[in-house]
Amino acid sequence: MERDIEQLNAALNAIKVLRSNVRSVFESVSNGLRADHGDEGKETKFIYELQELLTTVNNNLRDVENAVANLTPQAGPFSLGNTTYLSQETTQERQALYGQLVNSYKWTDKIREYSAVAGNILAANSFNKTYKTYSTAKRRKTTTSNHNVAPEVIENLISSIDRLFPDVTFTPNRPLVPNPIIQVSLGRVLKAIIAFKGLMIEWVVVKAHAESNDLWTESRYRVFKRITENCHAAMCHFHSPLMPELAVRSFMHWFHSYITLFSAPCKRCGNHLNSNLPPTWRDFRSLEPYHEECK
Amino acid sequence: MGVTILTQFALENKTGPQTVEVLSKRICALGAVQQGHFLVDCETYTSVPQLGHQRTVHVLHNSEQPATVFSLLDNGTKITALATDGLFDLLMMKMSQFYTSKKQTKAESKGLRYEIGDFYVKLGTVTVSSNYKGILVEVEYRPCVVPAMCWDLLKEFLQGFLGLTAPTNPPTYLQNRMQEVYTPIDTIHQYLEHFTMFRKSPGIYRN
Ligand SMILES: [Zn+2]
Repeated sequence: MERDIEQLNAALNAIKVLRSNVRSVFESVSNGLRADHGDEGKETKFIYELQELLTTVNNNLRDVENAVANLTPQAGPFSLGNTTYLSQETTQERQALYGQLVNSYKWTDKIREYSAVAGNILAANSFNKTYKTYSTAKRRKTTTSNHNVAPEVIENLISSIDRLFPDVTFTPNRPLVPNPIIQVSLGRVLKAIIAFKGLMIEWVVVKAHAESNDLWTESRYRVFKRITENCHAAMCHFHSPLMPELAVRSFMHWFHSYITLFSAPCKRCGNHLNSNLPPTWRDFRSLEPYHEECK
Repeated sequence: MGVTILTQFALENKTGPQTVEVLSKRICALGAVQQGHFLVDCETYTSVPQLGHQRTVHVLHNSEQPATVFSLLDNGTKITALATDGLFDLLMMKMSQFYTSKKQTKAESKGLRYEIGDFYVKLGTVTVSSNYKGILVEVEYRPCVVPAMCWDLLKEFLQGFLGLTAPTNPPTYLQNRMQEVYTPIDTIHQYLEHFTMFRKSPGIYRN
């Protein structure tokens, strides 16, 4: 496929060169004798020029023929599938559909390509959310599932964390469900909407208190967008398939350090603002505030 | 609605438009994008003597909350704030027999509005009954609602583009409300404070 396209491109290029050189033959013929041919033997000079141009055209023609010979013709008629019917469209505004179709095809094609590359990279740096061992000896050991947990277990975990931080308010959804989405209010600073998958944190969005509790729209403020990104990093960092409860606890402990988001200056540069943002990073170990650029 | 700080600003030997130009150049150099205009105006009505003890009503509009009319009733000892819809203006007209306005005290601050990161910056030219009085700079940090939490951050931001003349203390109105959640009426109070100062000043007010 790749080779076919390359050859097709080469053939098209050859045709382009041929056309451009044929054009210069006609240009030369239509101009006739010019001043730069001089006085002496101007006719011979002109004929020489024409001859040279025609030789080039000849060579180009040979190139085209070679390139075309290299192409492998499509076996059978070229099938466009259902899109052929688009050519029968009579309404004006729908005639542009084909172009859009081609664009979206290209787009999906690119997505496939990128996702394949991303898949390869991720496979190389494997990060498993499930705890799996492939050796037969260990397989017999039963591992506790993190995904399929009774709602009460999650509820207990959340309320135990709730007791740990008096300035954090947890609002779990009721009735209890296996995969709850909870709202965590960090004082009057911010709130996070956290989606659980069993005992694992699956998704976090950080927003201002006045914003919606929707899990899928990001905050309109840059500072909370940054913190959302950092929460995603933290949720991967603290993740531990063997000790899921500890993972959630450590995440909450780290997240709690954002209570000083607006009031604590950066540990490194000592300033509050860097590119108009407060220190949006908290160190995983020391929980100290840093600017994105200072960490 | 985030915490907002209002401050007066003046430059030696510069006119109002020149000062605004200097400031807008500075703020744009920091990466601000201009985003339309803004206007805050204030009209003051006083009760007629027949009503007994004199009271003052300040009626303010802020283009940031275009459907709201803010009014502050001052009875000399206490200020009562009220946020209502646009009909309040008509009500005041109906009450013109009891509350009269002095036309020459109409104050307004208007100018351009800039967005820079999560901050809004407004550079306002203040006029009292169409006479130029000075420059008011409004800075709002939108993600934060408690003044005490972000005052230092706002101070740093203000120093960043106002230089040494930036305020070192929170506005007097906010000083005993630092722990409370900030609302649009707090901005209105700050504007009234400055408008009152500008009205009293004979010419161009300087810090
Ligand atoms: Zn820093």
